[in-house]
Amino acid sequence: MSAITSNAPRVRRMTLRRRRQLSGFLFALPAIALVIGFIGVPIGQAVYYSFTQWNGLTSTWIGPSTWTQAFHNSNLWTALENNALLLLAVPFALGLPLGIAVLLHQRVAGWRIFRSIYFLPTAISWVVLGLVAERFFAYQGTLNSIIHALGFSHVNTNMLGYESTALSALGITFVFTMIGTNTMLFLTGLATLDPSLEEAARIDGAGRWRIFRSITLPHLSRFIQLAFVMTVIALFSALFSLIFVMTGGGPGYATTTMEFLIYQTGFNQGDFGTAALYGLILFVLTGIVGVVQLRLIGSNE
Amino acid sequence: MAEIDFDGVTKIFGVGPPAVDHLSLHVDDGEFMVLVGPSGCGKTTALRMLAGLEEITSGTLKIGNAVVNNVLPKDRDVAMVFQNYALYPHMSVAENIGFALKIRGDSKSEIKRKVAEAASILHLSEYLERRPKALSGGQRQRVAMGRAIVRSPQAFLMDEPLSNLDAKLRVEMRLEIARIQRLLGVATVYVTHDQVEAMTMGDRVAVLRDGQLQQVDTPQDLYDHPVNEFVAGFMGSPPMNLVRCRVRAGNDRIEVDFGDQTIELPWHYTSSHELPASGLDVVVGIRPEDVIITDASSPNTIQTRVERREALGAEILVHLSHVDPNTDPSAYAENARADISRKASLVAKMGPRVKITVGDVLSVQLSPEHAHFFDAATGVTLRKRSR
Amino acid sequence: MTTLITPPQESDDREAPTPPSRNTRAKVGRWALFFAMVVIAVVMLYPFWVMIITSLKSEAQFLSGGGFSWLSWKHLSATIPVGQEVLSSTIVCSASILIILVVGLPAGFAFAKLRFRTSTAVFLVIVSAMMVPLQAILMPEFVNVTKLGLTGGYFGAILVYAALGTPFSVFLFTTYFRGVPDELIEAGIVDGLGYFGALWRLVVPIAIPAIATVTVLQFIQIWDDLLVGLLFIQNTSERPITVGLAVLAAGRTTSIPELMAGSFISALPAMIVYLGFQRYLVKGLTMGIDR
Repeated sequence: MSAITSNAPRVRRMTLRRRRQLSGFLFALPAIALVIGFIGVPIGQAVYYSFTQWNGLTSTWIGPSTWTQAFHNSNLWTALENNALLLLAVPFALGLPLGIAVLLHQRVAGWRIFRSIYFLPTAISWVVLGLVAERFFAYQGTLNSIIHALGFSHVNTNMLGYESTALSALGITFVFTMIGTNTMLFLTGLATLDPSLEEAARIDGAGRWRIFRSITLPHLSRFIQLAFVMTVIALFSALFSLIFVMTGGGPGYATTTMEFLIYQTGFNQGDFGTAALYGLILFVLTGIVGVVQLRLIGSNE
Repeated sequence: MAEIDFDGVTKIFGVGPPAVDHLSLHVDDGEFMVLVGPSGCGKTTALRMLAGLEEITSGTLKIGNAVVNNVLPKDRDVAMVFQNYALYPHMSVAENIGFALKIRGDSKSEIKRKVAEAASILHLSEYLERRPKALSGGQRQRVAMGRAIVRSPQAFLMDEPLSNLDAKLRVEMRLEIARIQRLLGVATVYVTHDQVEAMTMGDRVAVLRDGQLQQVDTPQDLYDHPVNEFVAGFMGSPPMNLVRCRVRAGNDRIEVDFGDQTIELPWHYTSSHELPASGLDVVVGIRPEDVIITDASSPNTIQTRVERREALGAEILVHLSHVDPNTDPSAYAENARADISRKASLVAKMGPRVKITVGDVLSVQLSPEHAHFFDAATGVTLRKRSR
Repeated sequence: MTTLITPPQESDDREAPTPPSRNTRAKVGRWALFFAMVVIAVVMLYPFWVMIITSLKSEAQFLSGGGFSWLSWKHLSATIPVGQEVLSSTIVCSASILIILVVGLPAGFAFAKLRFRTSTAVFLVIVSAMMVPLQAILMPEFVNVTKLGLTGGYFGAILVYAALGTPFSVFLFTTYFRGVPDELIEAGIVDGLGYFGALWRLVVPIAIPAIATVTVLQFIQIWDDLLVGLLFIQNTSERPITVGLAVLAAGRTTSIPELMAGSFISALPAMIVYLGFQRYLVKGLTMGIDR
């Protein structure tokens, strides 16, 4: 009782709700500061610097002509084209994991071990996977060994060595790197499927394909959407490690994507202003996908 | 220990009607006060304001003579038992019970002693090392109680603490909580929507509706003298029969019309009640146990037909409808099965051995000593203030 | 292995009395299925096989194709400062994750339970930051961190990793705490806790599974990352292992068996973490959709 009387005058100044809100704000503040300082502010700076000539130390205001100039640069179009071509890998990066997840969901003997094995590459760096992929596609690599073993001893590939095939090799590697994550997503989705639905359909006389088409796929649609968004975002912003170790963007500009072009323009050519501008283009591209993603999250809340 | 005083306490969430509207209520030291009402009546909000979990929009709230409107919950020295118990899942039973003491900075031996004491009162001694997850519903409820009593706080606040228990356990814990509260003599505010809990546990009961306090009284007074139709209908199960009637006052007698039938009331009602003038409507309330079967020859009876019959074992609830006196009673008996969905207008509570079947026509007397009268427009009791 | 998914009781009804012909067909199907799974397993294990086999050759044996030798492993530390690099990776990972947790937990608590006036909008802004790829803001970020003089040691990289991981942790913790009943926090507050006490003594212990999820996901993410470590740690002697490997590989002068040995070492910690905490990884990936 004495505690109350002695405390009351001091605390009365601030209402309970204000105290709660203030605590909440203070608790969120470090996160807000970190995100604004390291993500928010640079976006603003990127906008400013995209209108300048900038080498990292001094910047000169040029104006909107930087943008028109950038769009006349063929490298930008090559990079955008490479990104667009890589989008062709997305169906494989979704389809293969979907098939694998369905196989795993049949729960044959040892399926848990298989599951762990399938997910294991998810843990390792794309740098390492890139190194391994390089071995696979190399002149003396596994791919050629397989081809020779199949009897085509005169055929020798070197996919990473030629402009015409390097991007395909990169795309194949990308599909491999996405298998673990996407299989995981789909398998989780399948686990949430009520088995009695399937049983009911079987009693109604539906065949396996029919059940997959009419029950499993619709149920998985949310998971497929999420996997699609994650895959596309990875395609735009996570290939750097693979490109860095496998091709360095080459041969020529054959495997230079937007994100690699930003790195090259900034750090190899020292043209920070143009690199910042390219960054904004990438930002807009992922932003479009991001809006889709947010709507997915939002629709679940 | 302390008394609690709500003085014109109001809570408004955003815009819209107040959740608690000018609540003035005094809880004596050591008193067991029950707040009861249907869901959404503001009883939980009132309790949460007392705990300091909800802001008070206006009015004054005192605990032990100190205004606590803006005092933090931790400085109010009240203990609360939540509906879902809110036990800390990562702590053992002993840690749960002793948590508040630990925060307060009591010594380890002191905490141990107090936890052991509380545990023995609650018969929890053998479960002290368990996690809440490993306890039954009743045991969890006891731990929640233990967390409250170990602190010897100024007041206990309980928010429907029994509603998650099954019926049998609820009856058991009802007695248990009342016993402990009397043992410790701490002022208690207990929120429930269950009028049986309110009747059996409270020293006094406060009935709320739409944020407004309807009546505060001892359980028996609340039952015998409800101030309005709402309280009359809320307290008691099955609820009081409320029938809209017309008053005809003549020389030396009052008559009220029940449909086409009439009963006469003793004149002395006019001295205790302010009955409306002749020809106006009044709501007559009669408890189910005050509907009495007699034979048709006795005066002041009305004819009714049995529409439904619910045998509850110890008693039978009989749903009755009025019978038009001009119709031959036998005709009713014949049509008994014809329209079973006819609306009953009176419920009577009868002994278990009364032989009654659906379709019977009964003469019933409405025990005139126990009739309640409410204003037909406002629902407020017509009983005069001074008795 | 952790059991995330409880298998339905299906084996019996598959073995249920069916005509013999269908039974054998089902059996053949099961074997075909099993065979397919094995084939996929071989493909998925291929990287590990390549790393191990290649690293067990000398440079000469690698070029000629045959043979086996411990030579590459013996010379490994001379080519790649593995010990130093693993230490760097560990420091950067631990410090970044610590910041991500210290910053994310109170924020998640605030957005879920202590909502302030603009909290919904602020929450949405932070969550949208999940979608911003580092490359999009790479140039200003690099210049800012350099100007702050943070690229000398680990600090620059740690802060960038922390900033990039925070949106996800805030999102995950907020979602997690929304599932914690309000009464639990209120009980603590009535028991005498302030908001900070409630955070430290109730919220954090309850959030252990969510903390594990964030830790595992961020560990793998940061351990495996190249770009931030490459640019924001200027001192070559402080390079994390992934960066060290990538730079050597890009130089194309290093012995490939040694590179593979280094790769295997770099992959080991993340694999162990993954195998031990697979459950939390899956949870984190499907957060927000699997409810």
